[in-house]
Amino acid sequence: MAVLDIQNITHTYAAGSPFEQHAIRDVSLKTVSGELLGIIGHTGSGKSTLIQHLNGLLRPTEGKILLDGQDIWEKPKNIRAVRFRVGMVFQYPEYQLFEDTIYKDIAFGPRNMGLDDAEIDRRVRRAAADVGLDEALLEKSPFDLSGGEKRRAAIAGVLAMEPEILILDEPTAGLDPRGREQILSLIRDYRARRGTTVLLVSHSMEDIARLADRVLVMREGEVAMLDTVERVFARAEELEQMGLTVPAVTKILLLLRQQGVDIATDVYTVEQAIERLLPLLGGERAC
Amino acid sequence: MLNDITLGQYFPGNSLLHRLDPRMKLTLTMLFIVLVFIPRNWISLCGAVVLLAVTVALSRLPIKLLWRSVKPILLIVAFTAVLQIFYVTGGTVLVQLGPVKITTQGLNNAAFIAVRIACLVMGSSLLTYTTTPTALTDAIEYMLAPLKVLRVNAHEIAMMMTIALRFIPTLVEETGKIMSAQKARGADMESGGLIQRVKALVPIIIPLFVSSFRRAYDLAMAMECRCYQGGEGRTRMKKLCSAPRDWIALAVYLLVLAVLIALNVRFGSVLN
Repeated sequence: MAVLDIQNITHTYAAGSPFEQHAIRDVSLKTVSGELLGIIGHTGSGKSTLIQHLNGLLRPTEGKILLDGQDIWEKPKNIRAVRFRVGMVFQYPEYQLFEDTIYKDIAFGPRNMGLDDAEIDRRVRRAAADVGLDEALLEKSPFDLSGGEKRRAAIAGVLAMEPEILILDEPTAGLDPRGREQILSLIRDYRARRGTTVLLVSHSMEDIARLADRVLVMREGEVAMLDTVERVFARAEELEQMGLTVPAVTKILLLLRQQGVDIATDVYTVEQAIERLLPLLGGERAC
Repeated sequence: MLNDITLGQYFPGNSLLHRLDPRMKLTLTMLFIVLVFIPRNWISLCGAVVLLAVTVALSRLPIKLLWRSVKPILLIVAFTAVLQIFYVTGGTVLVQLGPVKITTQGLNNAAFIAVRIACLVMGSSLLTYTTTPTALTDAIEYMLAPLKVLRVNAHEIAMMMTIALRFIPTLVEETGKIMSAQKARGADMESGGLIQRVKALVPIIIPLFVSSFRRAYDLAMAMECRCYQGGEGRTRMKKLCSAPRDWIALAVYLLVLAVLIALNVRFGSVLN
């Protein structure tokens, strides 16, 4: 699996003018093959700017991005090839749908790759199955679908390129709890099946806690933390100072400890919290 | 690339020009356009240029800004000037290549028209540089009000203009997002022939249309929910009011107009 190696990249908007602004500064990061890396940070912390560098939509002002050891900007003409290997699902991807049928829209990426019709067909059907879209929907117009279905169709449009690295920017934004659940489980299942490296940008600490192996915390354009989920959430107070909310269960345990209850707070899912809390209440009782 | 669009190009300031009543500025701009087309000789044209220079000085805008407004139309200026050089005959022949002649009269006309167009663009961009889009639409609404007798609803026209202006930055941002999303799927917008490039725009334009309609419906809904009724009986937060300076400005412009006409009569025409 491909590895992205980001070396000290800085991106400056409007360089040299009085409006000069460092969107990200000296960010380094190396993905681990097959991991799910969660990216969190406050609005304006540079998350979106960072990920747009990874598939060559933005070019860093300074620093390098290596994909399998190769500088992606070595031959700027070949940047499209990088975009096929590093798939990117933007926020509200359903707004990018444009073809008259879902099938054609999912086929847009593979067609741009120059694949033959049989291969395109195989990929479209596989991607549709990956996101749980019914075959019957493929011949429908994108505008006849529900919000959640549109979102999944748009994600399928990126999956159909079979990227080695998949980046998702707030894939659950604006969905109801059920739609959110569907998207999150499709990401998890897809990863389990393909072993793709996934970068997930999210506001929701709960989502990150459930899915991620490592977490990158951005603050004001710089890397504030980059560590395993356990270690990052163990620094809950620092996260709160940055204006980030820790998962609700972690917060409850933190409050309990403040009140003098002797309990470890490196907990971020409901299941883990149950394990910690049950002994305090005298263990599980049969009823 | 998309950041270069200067449409809502208001440049904040507090100069005399910024403080003029937008209605008067609109009138003066129209008057200036007339002023630029009146001169028939160089002395008279100089008068118009001086008036423009004084107005620019009073606006306290950086000269660079005005240059920026002229830059995009330089091609048109050059094109018109070249046409003049080749089509106008008369005066001494300077160069002759077969049927093509370059004459002194041609050069004279070309220079005259180039100056004229440059003045025109700079003068009218002063209006948008010193007036906020909302003030401008208010002024247009006020000035179109007499058309009510012809059943023209000035308020609705002004409201449409305000809404259109309001959504330009939103649409520019949206276009950027959609372009990025399609590029991420391998859309190629930088290479290929003309037809291919036009085709490459489809994945951008269709989502843009769809979202524009969605926004329009949402906005219409929101306006109806707040019982928006149109012009009748609406009051304003910022009222337009004219001050003596507005009338002085108008007087100056009219005076210059008279002077230019006099100069035309006195020195005759140099145009062919």
